[in-house]
Amino acid sequence: MLILGGPGSHEGHEEEGHPERPERVTAVLAGVGDLDLAGDLVRVEAREATRAELIAVHDGAYLDELGAFCYGGGGDIDEDTYATYDSYSIARATAGSGLAVVDELRRRDAGVGLVVTRPPGHHALAGRAMGFCLLNNVAVAAAHLAAAGERVAIIDFDVHHGNGTQEIFWNDPRVLYVSSHQVPLFPGSGMSKEVGGPDALGATCNLPLPAGATGDVVARAYEEIAAPVLDSFAPSWVLVSAGFDAHRSDPLADLALTSGDFGALSHFAAQFTPQPGRLAFFLEGGYNLQALRASITDTLARALGEDRASEPPSSGGPGHDAVVRSAALRAAALEAAHDTKGTP
Amino acid sequence: MTTVAVGYDFSDHAHRAAQWAAAYAQRCGADVVLVHAIGLREHGEPGNPLVELAAVSAEIAAGAGLEESRVRGALDYGDACSVLLRCASAPIDASLLVVGTRGHDAHAGLLLGSTSLEVAEHATIPLVIVPTD
Repeated sequence: MLILGGPGSHEGHEEEGHPERPERVTAVLAGVGDLDLAGDLVRVEAREATRAELIAVHDGAYLDELGAFCYGGGGDIDEDTYATYDSYSIARATAGSGLAVVDELRRRDAGVGLVVTRPPGHHALAGRAMGFCLLNNVAVAAAHLAAAGERVAIIDFDVHHGNGTQEIFWNDPRVLYVSSHQVPLFPGSGMSKEVGGPDALGATCNLPLPAGATGDVVARAYEEIAAPVLDSFAPSWVLVSAGFDAHRSDPLADLALTSGDFGALSHFAAQFTPQPGRLAFFLEGGYNLQALRASITDTLARALGEDRASEPPSSGGPGHDAVVRSAALRAAALEAAHDTKGTP
Repeated sequence: MTTVAVGYDFSDHAHRAAQWAAAYAQRCGADVVLVHAIGLREHGEPGNPLVELAAVSAEIAAGAGLEESRVRGALDYGDACSVLLRCASAPIDASLLVVGTRGHDAHAGLLLGSTSLEVAEHATIPLVIVPTD
């Protein structure tokens, strides 16, 4: 069963020529339609996240300013990020739809969640919009679950590092953040040595990958570095920042994944859920509409237990040495941090 | 050698800031680095900003009477604010940041969208904001 949420009306958040555009939602919904779920598709009604829910991860002053900026007509926030008159309301509805999806999963103890976000969220910092993102949707949901006593793992396979999510939970031991991403690339963060703050050492796990890396390399990074961390953390929930711009056809990056590779990543993430109804995907990037549609289909199919792939998994790209180096750098950073704290 | 880092987005405001930084560097014996942030959308666009930065650097150096080698360009991935803040660390290790009052992205009177004000709020080294004539 797929529990589907989204902001409802989102067309008011648009800037001519911008890659983060309403047609992305159309492509995602077409990808969902390709699954032929019929009665196994449950749509959750959108609601706006409340200020209290947003303030769990965002600064109040930032929310005030973002609201004022949008209701003043909006414009370009930086060279990548725009907002319109409607954007604040749409962003709040997007964050709220993430909350509605996880609440519905919890109520049913069944199904897999998909939050079709617009705008995306994982670059949004506590006090700043950036990288197409206004509010950090996955972080709002994770904070909501953590406040209810859950242990939340966020697995982020967008091609760009989710610097906003990492920053928000940097020193929070209730939330594990795992990210695979291309380096060097925007936003310039996400190195292996970034392992979390003093109260959450090890609860940040970065898997930087070189341009051209294929699915076998990404899978190796997850299996050799992330899997032990996830096993040790033992999450009660897994939220996935599901960006599909690591696809080989995406115009904004240079990894070489196929839709079948996203299916494999979905299968990997699902392994760490302790019971049904504890896995939700939050759309992040992905700007080639055909690749986005196929990748959504393959991702959800594997999460729902169906073994299918529109494109076969990829292999043969560079980066195996980077995985080995990442593991060593992470171990060294953790050892140094523990020494600094005076712990064994 | 002291290094002065200038936020450079190819706007007139950034150019003015670079000219000020070069004049300052000429007086105090510093080097100047014009730092350009590569955002999400710029990836894969045609043109090579490093080549463009090299041309601007040469022009800025000549205008201030500096040896050409003392003004150079540098690229870093990220939003402009984060990239500028990182200039205080290796490899640039700047001891002074210089920005224009408004770049391509600024909105008068609002912190949101103002790289200069964001950097001012978070900078760990001195910052000069150069007004535009």
